[in-house]
Amino acid sequence: MSEQIEKAFQKQQGIFQNAKVGAKKSVKNNRWYKEVGLGFKTPKEAIEGHYIDKKCPFTGDVSIRGRILTGEIMSTKMKRTIIIRREYLHFISKYNRYEKRHKNLAAHMSPCFIGVQAGDSVTVGQCRPLSKTVRFNVLKVQKKVVKGAKNFAKF
Amino acid sequence: SRHKRNATGAKRAQYRKKRKFELGRQAANTKLGAKRIHEVRTRGGNRKFRAMRLDAGNFSWGSEAISRKTRIVAVVYNSSNNELVRTGTLVKNAIVQIDATPFRQWYESHYATPIGARKGKGVVKAESEEIAKTRSNHVQRKIEARKTESKVDAALDHQFAAGRLYACLSSRPGQSGRADGYILEGQELAFYIRKLKK
Repeated sequence: MSEQIEKAFQKQQGIFQNAKVGAKKSVKNNRWYKEVGLGFKTPKEAIEGHYIDKKCPFTGDVSIRGRILTGEIMSTKMKRTIIIRREYLHFISKYNRYEKRHKNLAAHMSPCFIGVQAGDSVTVGQCRPLSKTVRFNVLKVQKKVVKGAKNFAKF
Repeated sequence: SRHKRNATGAKRAQYRKKRKFELGRQAANTKLGAKRIHEVRTRGGNRKFRAMRLDAGNFSWGSEAISRKTRIVAVVYNSSNNELVRTGTLVKNAIVQIDATPFRQWYESHYATPIGARKGKGVVKAESEEIAKTRSNHVQRKIEARKTESKVDAALDHQFAAGRLYACLSSRPGQSGRADGYILEGQELAFYIRKLKK
């Protein structure tokens, strides 16, 4: 209902919605989902939700294979995709010391992850190229823990 | 993608000539008309059938699980570009109107009931020969058993009355040379009818 925003009818590829009236099995939410493997739990929102996202790892046509990385979310301003910042230390042998370096990564975020903000830590898995720079898909979100008394959080 | 800028915005220097494996060919822009298909030799010696003009396709009626070859009448909606509707270009996921007669004939022979009967018309049209013909006892019993599942959605019934069904193309005419698809039903049909009304 509310997920038909685009000019074409959004539906999950491969599931048949128009079974005859009065058919024996009428599941209320005829939705297809899969487990991505590697021990990642598929979120409840992915199974019970109504969104259509062909690039979602749980309800869409992408497989997770290759690298699994983690990082901190820098921005969520794009439609269904986020920028992650991965920090690491690079060793300079001449001075026997480290220097801080970082790399940014664009990852697709499925609508099943709601209430995700910049600063949260996230686990992403490699998939096939989804756009010019996106090759990763969000699998798990670890929300940032606000320590101490409940500070004022902008809402 | 070797010609595009990096994600950072840097311009990539050209260090080699264009290669054959990164070629792109002209779009087919398949129109409605007498069948005209060009064959293309592709990478690996394989072929693609570039349909330049098509007039018929194999369309499926999903809920009844049958397919029939039907004439494509007109292109009615395209979610990407209104220009493609104006010029009548056949592409995947274009909404077209197809001739309903093969499906009506199948329905009448399978369920022995009329479909798309125009209500409100004083004169009741004589039952078609297909419905009224005599059948063997075995066939008659089968038809009686199917009566319960013969109900068709009202929106589809309207379309049968007009003789034109809305369908969606699911094949790529410029690649396979065919314009096959499925008849719109249920929520999808309601969605596109609303779009057409605007």
